[in-house]
Amino acid sequence: MTEEMTERLVATADGALAAPPAPREHLGSGRTRAALRVQNCLADAAREFLRRESVTEVRLPVIGPVTDPGARGSKQVDIDYYGRRYRLMTSAILYKQVTLTAFDAIYAIAPNVRLEPLETAVTHRHLAEFHQIDVEVAGATRAEVMRLAQRLIAHVVTACLDRCAAELAVLGRDLAGLSRALEDFDVMTHQEAVAALVSLGHPQNPRAELDWQGEELLSAQITRPFYVTDYPKGSRGFYDRESREQPGLLRNFDLLAGEGYGELASGSERESDYGRIVTRMRETGENPAKYAWYLEVARTGIPPSAGFGIGLERLTRYVAGLSAVWEGSAYPKLPGVFAP
Amino acid sequence: MTVLSASAFPEVAVRDRALRGEAAAFPLQADYGHGLYGADLDDGRPADLLDRLRVVPPVFMPRRLEKLIELGREPLPDDVDLRSRLGGFQAPYPLYVSAFGSTRVAGTGLGIAAARQAGALGLPLVIGENIVPVAGYGRIERTAQQSMLLERIEAYAAELPPGVGGVVVQQSTEDADAEVWNLVHSDPNVRPLLDSGRLGFELKVGQGAKPGLGGMTLVDSQTAERLGQSYSFGSASGADPDNILRSSSPGTFTADILASQVTLMRNNFPRCRVWVKLPPGRDVAAAAAVARDAGADAVTVDGAEGGTGWAPLSFLQHVGLPLGECLLRIGWSPDAGGTLLASGRMWEGSRAVKALALGAGGVGLGRAALLSADECGKTGLANLVHCLALELRMLVSALGKYAVTEIDRSDVWPLPSPAAAEPDRRGS
Repeated sequence: MTEEMTERLVATADGALAAPPAPREHLGSGRTRAALRVQNCLADAAREFLRRESVTEVRLPVIGPVTDPGARGSKQVDIDYYGRRYRLMTSAILYKQVTLTAFDAIYAIAPNVRLEPLETAVTHRHLAEFHQIDVEVAGATRAEVMRLAQRLIAHVVTACLDRCAAELAVLGRDLAGLSRALEDFDVMTHQEAVAALVSLGHPQNPRAELDWQGEELLSAQITRPFYVTDYPKGSRGFYDRESREQPGLLRNFDLLAGEGYGELASGSERESDYGRIVTRMRETGENPAKYAWYLEVARTGIPPSAGFGIGLERLTRYVAGLSAVWEGSAYPKLPGVFAP
Repeated sequence: MTVLSASAFPEVAVRDRALRGEAAAFPLQADYGHGLYGADLDDGRPADLLDRLRVVPPVFMPRRLEKLIELGREPLPDDVDLRSRLGGFQAPYPLYVSAFGSTRVAGTGLGIAAARQAGALGLPLVIGENIVPVAGYGRIERTAQQSMLLERIEAYAAELPPGVGGVVVQQSTEDADAEVWNLVHSDPNVRPLLDSGRLGFELKVGQGAKPGLGGMTLVDSQTAERLGQSYSFGSASGADPDNILRSSSPGTFTADILASQVTLMRNNFPRCRVWVKLPPGRDVAAAAAVARDAGADAVTVDGAEGGTGWAPLSFLQHVGLPLGECLLRIGWSPDAGGTLLASGRMWEGSRAVKALALGAGGVGLGRAALLSADECGKTGLANLVHCLALELRMLVSALGKYAVTEIDRSDVWPLPSPAAAEPDRRGS
């Protein structure tokens, strides 16, 4: 990290920011080793669970001519692919949908890169490079994949409680708090979340994504993971399906951890109708020509589906009780911070 | 200087102002005492609706009396407050510098000279479409040719006084491929503007000179090959390999698409201002209402008289509503929130006052800014703006008003009868 960037971080920090140490110091720390062992257990347990559910593990691409355009102002990484502009995957959502032409249910533990806005360096839960447990199920409804995600979380938390007692002790995780992840998750709509935040004195735009502070504030009020559903159109990418019954609302959800840890996962039913996909692309300011390969498949038919992506480092932070998500990465890249 | 020409524009007068500043608001001083002056009602230029309007001061001026009481002396033009709030930014005048587009004209260093002067003046600055896909953004390897966007922002920010101005970066349909907004938003060099609330993004729905068409430039064959994935290239320029016509698509909009895009901008960039630039289309009133209701801080309407870039002759002469008609149709109410901004052949005070009278909160300098920066890279734009500001103060005070924001329809004559009804209100 250069001095210049350090100064920037300090200037914008909320006081709690601790920048990642150099690799030898970071990897040599007992806390880091414990956190990474917890993460390993989480990935193993996720695979066990998904295999048992007959979900096929696939290897999704790392580069492609287009990637998930996302939202919230994160920038994609361009690479020169034999003279053409390709992108590193911000998420492989488009490939997940298309892969469902071969399998009924798929998952990958996929690496993603997003150049997040610089101010996210101090949210404790943003990394420019991270991994997702990325699941997509053909023909599924939102309710079905929400149940699947809850069962997946319950399974991996149980596995960690069983297998990582020593690591969780080193990390000082409050086990009673963590065990609440085994209870049923509550569900609130985005509109209800906005009302809750406004009543807490937080100015939340009702037509936008919950902002970073709002998400953390809401998460701090609740002791176990909970879902927020029905985000307004305009807050997410074109692939989250718009409700036919309630136009303007998306058939999507976020999963937020309790205890102030914030967002763990996002998911949705997907748009699969070609005409609606093209229209939604325009509504999100995208140029359909850029997505030619995907639209070609969509024109001939992709199955309706629903799915989600759980941030592996965020899940690690929650389960291990880490103060910041970067502690759950061996080589953390905080947005805007130059690190190996 | 003088790399530019603008035959359809009062170029000589603009260059004169760029050199002489406030003095150019009056006839030549050498003629004083010899010449007789009066209205020249036909100066030979084609008149549009705004040209045909006259600014008409009243005889009785209750606002002047209020100002007299406040000051304890007779008010003068210098007492007029020109400060304006334009699309979420504070500005010392009801003026901003509008986008120059990807025309070669702005890429010759003029764009940077204009940006520097706009910064020093505290005028909001719009940086135009297709700069990134055409010239490159150059975050890693910056050369003079390949970093137009960043260099303009830096030149502007280096001169910008605290508390005023702001940079607005345009994005059109193809610019979305290059993620211009995300790129600017995440750039460390732009952070001071973002942190001080002086960064905005403009969604380009269309433009004045060629409504219904996308941006056009002539590029050489090498550039055409590089841009091959992003644009279509026409043969309209014949076999000349150094002048290949590059066309952007205008992008498809319906009311839903426009509203959703504005909502998405607000969602993605909550700390940035959102501007929407509309072409002079027949449903411009409906489009302005959709943009405003979706939360745009500014709606810019570019009259058919506007434009710095390359355009087909048939469009320049025959397509799109004149700016005055756009403003009348929109009938912007300042109480509704947001600012209506107007551009199209703006360069002197009376035209600006007429646009303000018809609802605009500010007017954009496009060709006038380029020409004045071309005439004098150091002070040309400042001289032009100071001259324009002097005229604004004289005109507003002549109307018996002392804040430029108080100008309204009663200050101009003759007001045309209400415009023809729009057949397709929502456009979808």
